[in-house]
Amino acid sequence: MKISYRWLREYVETDLPPSALADRLTNAGIPVEESVPVVEGLGGVVVGEIEAIERELGESRPGHLNRLCRVALPDRKFSVICGAPNVAPGLRTALAPPGATLPGGRTIAVTTIRGVVSEGMLCSEKDLGIGDDNDGILALPPDAPLGTDFVTYLGLDDTIFEIEITPNRPDALSIVGVAREIAAVTGAPFRFPQVAVKEAEPEAATLTSVEIADPDLCPRYAARVISGLTVKPSPPWLAQRLRAVGLRPINNVVDVTNYVLWELGQPLHAFDHATLAGGRIVVRRARPGEHLTTLDGRDRALTPDMLMICDAERPVAVGGVMGGADTEVRPGTTTVLLESACFNPASVRRTSRALGLSTDAAYRFERGSDVEGVIPALDRAALLMADLGGGTVARGVIDVYPAPRPHSRVALRLERVERVVGAAPPRAEVIRILQALGFAVDDSGPVLQVVVPSFRRDIVQEDDFVEEIVRIWGYDKIPLTLAQAGEVTPVTRPADLALAGQTGRALTAAGLAECVTYSFVDPARLKAMGWDDPARLVALLNPLSVERSIMRPSLVPGLLEVLATNVHRQSPDVQMFETGVTFAPHRDADGDRPAHEELWLGVALTGQRAPRAWHASRDRVDIYDAKGMAELTLAVAGAPGAETQPWSAGEEPGYLEPGRAARLLVDGQEVARFGEVAHRVREVFDLPAPVFVAEVSLTALAARPLLVPRYVPLPRFPAVQRDLALVVPDDVTVAQVEAAIQGMDIPWLVRVALFDVYSGSQVGTGKRSLAWSLTYQAPDRTLTDAEVNEAHARVVRELARRFRAEVRGA
Amino acid sequence: VAGDPRVQQIHDRALAEIAGARSTSDLESLRVRVLGRSGELTTLLRSLGSLPAAERPKVGQQANEVKQALETALAERVEALKGEERRRARESERLDLTLPGRFTMPGPRHPLTRVLDEMIEIFEGLGFSVAEGPEVESDYYNFSALNFPDDHPARDMQDTLHVAGGALLRTHTSPVQIRTMLARRPPVRVICPGRVYRRDLTDATHSPMFHQVEGLAVDRHLTMADLKATLDLFARRMYGAQSRVRFRPSFFPFTEPSAEFDVLCFKCGGAGCRFCKQGGWIEIGGSGMVHPNVLRNVGYDPEEVTGWAFGMGVERIAILKYQVDDIRLFFENDLRFLQQFTR
Repeated sequence: MKISYRWLREYVETDLPPSALADRLTNAGIPVEESVPVVEGLGGVVVGEIEAIERELGESRPGHLNRLCRVALPDRKFSVICGAPNVAPGLRTALAPPGATLPGGRTIAVTTIRGVVSEGMLCSEKDLGIGDDNDGILALPPDAPLGTDFVTYLGLDDTIFEIEITPNRPDALSIVGVAREIAAVTGAPFRFPQVAVKEAEPEAATLTSVEIADPDLCPRYAARVISGLTVKPSPPWLAQRLRAVGLRPINNVVDVTNYVLWELGQPLHAFDHATLAGGRIVVRRARPGEHLTTLDGRDRALTPDMLMICDAERPVAVGGVMGGADTEVRPGTTTVLLESACFNPASVRRTSRALGLSTDAAYRFERGSDVEGVIPALDRAALLMADLGGGTVARGVIDVYPAPRPHSRVALRLERVERVVGAAPPRAEVIRILQALGFAVDDSGPVLQVVVPSFRRDIVQEDDFVEEIVRIWGYDKIPLTLAQAGEVTPVTRPADLALAGQTGRALTAAGLAECVTYSFVDPARLKAMGWDDPARLVALLNPLSVERSIMRPSLVPGLLEVLATNVHRQSPDVQMFETGVTFAPHRDADGDRPAHEELWLGVALTGQRAPRAWHASRDRVDIYDAKGMAELTLAVAGAPGAETQPWSAGEEPGYLEPGRAARLLVDGQEVARFGEVAHRVREVFDLPAPVFVAEVSLTALAARPLLVPRYVPLPRFPAVQRDLALVVPDDVTVAQVEAAIQGMDIPWLVRVALFDVYSGSQVGTGKRSLAWSLTYQAPDRTLTDAEVNEAHARVVRELARRFRAEVRGA
Repeated sequence: VAGDPRVQQIHDRALAEIAGARSTSDLESLRVRVLGRSGELTTLLRSLGSLPAAERPKVGQQANEVKQALETALAERVEALKGEERRRARESERLDLTLPGRFTMPGPRHPLTRVLDEMIEIFEGLGFSVAEGPEVESDYYNFSALNFPDDHPARDMQDTLHVAGGALLRTHTSPVQIRTMLARRPPVRVICPGRVYRRDLTDATHSPMFHQVEGLAVDRHLTMADLKATLDLFARRMYGAQSRVRFRPSFFPFTEPSAEFDVLCFKCGGAGCRFCKQGGWIEIGGSGMVHPNVLRNVGYDPEEVTGWAFGMGVERIAILKYQVDDIRLFFENDLRFLQQFTR
């Protein structure tokens, strides 16, 4: 909201310069975002009168006749060439004589145009930097004092503050509201505008009536009738005030309603009384099927939850939002019904949203207007309107206020301020602050009894006063002190978060990049990945776009998108991971959590394993890289030695390639999965090279008991190694062979490590050569060759029998 | 000592040969030939039996001296030749030590995680535990329990992302504060880091998803001064010892009094620069004393305990810290962006 410094000073006697005032306001909770002079660089321009047009000089451009004008000041006359169409003898306007400066750094000098000397320039609104109108020179009223400095005349030596009022403070959305804050902060006296309306016969009640059919949406509606008005442009001072705060001057009647809105914060509306059917007002909800053409010329279909201002027959305004076009004040209007009312905030907000209409009135009503501000604003506007339009105000106010609101009374203990803030101003200062803000204070007892004015509906309990007192006293006076520790509690971190940190660090150390992707994904892509059942997904009701409308059921879709982004930006080798939450519909075990959420770590790899380097081979990543990242994660999380359980084709998740996907189980529980991304999924994401993914459930791992390392004495006797090389049919898996070895209960066998895998012409088709290193070690003595040989021979014999294995090099 | 001329002869010849030897293997064969079991010197000594008994000890001593002298000369010569051989080997296999070494380059940690980790670490040091809660929340935890009135604009479909069944995507991590307070009795001292969502269209400064760290403390003697001091300590860890915190009055439904907090601009130190838009201070987050209604909503007695809370945006801090000019970069995950954060 734009606030004028000069305007403020009509209501608070402060000498603080604008910049200091802006700081004080900001520190009191009325943030001044910007502070700009009304005009910059305007100097030496004065009010002058065109006495005569001495001669015509021909067209400067088509339609623009240059004329030589004699412009009079009280003590001097100037000959000025002007091409404006509205140049006329007797017109008072802004003269920039030689030496004057205009905004934009222009200095006026004597010029010669086609041999004719021009002593200065006549100015348009735009030349002066006070408006956009450039069609003609500024027309001032006949009583504008000749020779007066133009800046003084229009009050242009002013600063405009752009202030941002928090939604709890509708009372500060006005000049008077901000002035009250300044008075409280600076201690300067505050003057509320006092108004004495000159009334004349007849009684307003003989001209109109007001009925509120829906008092829940309109607690108060007041009206006055002003007749005998002439609708015309507002005087320059009024037009300038409105322009300075960003409002467009329209005519003297409408401008007065806007002026009082800005000044007092009470929205007003003026109806052309002659256009109101029955000449009266009914405040009611819209009826089904009713329409209204609003002031902006648009036809609005109304719904029964919208509050309407109606005449005897039809809606004539959207209550608290915008007036109707049919009953608008226009040139020729002579009698005005002036509305000042209070509306239900939630209702105004709903209606304004539903109609897509945000207006200055709705902005205030939806934050809550002052029910007692209705009459002062009505009176102030009626007086001004009659003054500026030459009309008379009918006797009496029509004021329908069925259930007057009582003022609330709240007890305030001074020690509460100290208790909450850790510091407090003295009692006298507390009382001064509250009174300056408009609260009535009864300080006869130790506990203050404070009466809350109608414009501060945000103040309902004791702690609300704490903020009022301290913000005016100054937040900068709050000291920095740490409370003494009462009961001491240990610092804890949730297990899944701790795991996320440890595993993330391990994966970055392994060369992977961490990414963070949106939690919402594209349903079309999910469908292509096998999530075709909407019942398994959490969908947004009001997504910003359909591509971001489903809460991710897995980290893989987001990771594939990241891979695609990079591959298409000339980074074909991408190794990424993300740690984040996945979503599924609520399960019983989720309690009062609306959805099922799990923390996962996802890995996606494509392209070359290592950056090109003199010492690196150019190998592409493969499925074992993905599995390895899952195993690394499990190892770091204290769950090594997972069992690999491949999915049989068709059982794997829809985004993985059949036969190239498996689960990892720890203690029989699935904690991770990995595989190659299905070819058709890669096509959907436009990924040219094979992609491998791994997913690890940090939620599942976090549920396992924390693994604390336990010391085992170091072996004191030497270990003996024997190699084992077998050629087995290629449907025999490493896990099967190793399980068989472990199952034999071979004495002293402490380690089995696969060190070579070979398939090719040397072993024949359908076969594979596998080689392990077996380590034998006894805890209590040195093993003899004979003992080791015997144990190893048993392994070899047994495996050969069980897997139809040929033993190589034995 | 006058001795046997044959011994002297062996000595002189061997010394000359040692000096002329070209390799350690030459020296070894020389050693075997002269000093070995059937070497010249040994053989000579065995033949001493033919000498007069009086001369034998003298010649024996002479032979021992010669043996020692030759062994010393041999050892010295071996050392010299080994050094020479190593030098030749080095020369024949020349290394280019400017070649890059072998290691796995660590991948980058996402800038948001870096900032989050740093913040969590600072607050853990200040005695805060970490608390978590769901990202899909109920209206009750996200709004009602936090003293939002029923008709508050934030509850609109306009501003908040909703899911079926009346739930929504949390708009702040404050619901975690409610869940934490409901789950335990004071004292409470937690931070709540996590993802939050708003129905904002994406542009350079807005994202429908971002991260927050909120803090909450409830105890018998907590004041706004305590809150200010805690945030001041945070700022001095995060932004350096000269950093300071400023409070400005503000409004949040769940705190009373409420304050926005700024830190002294870490670029200009408060003098005013382009970074802080000439203001000298940079807005970091919101804070305040927990509203008595919120305390009552979780069954705490506002006469018995007071509390304070604060919240800040992780993206905002990352943007300021790393001078990132577009919030979308955080979620695009272009490797060329991420790799700037490898450390």
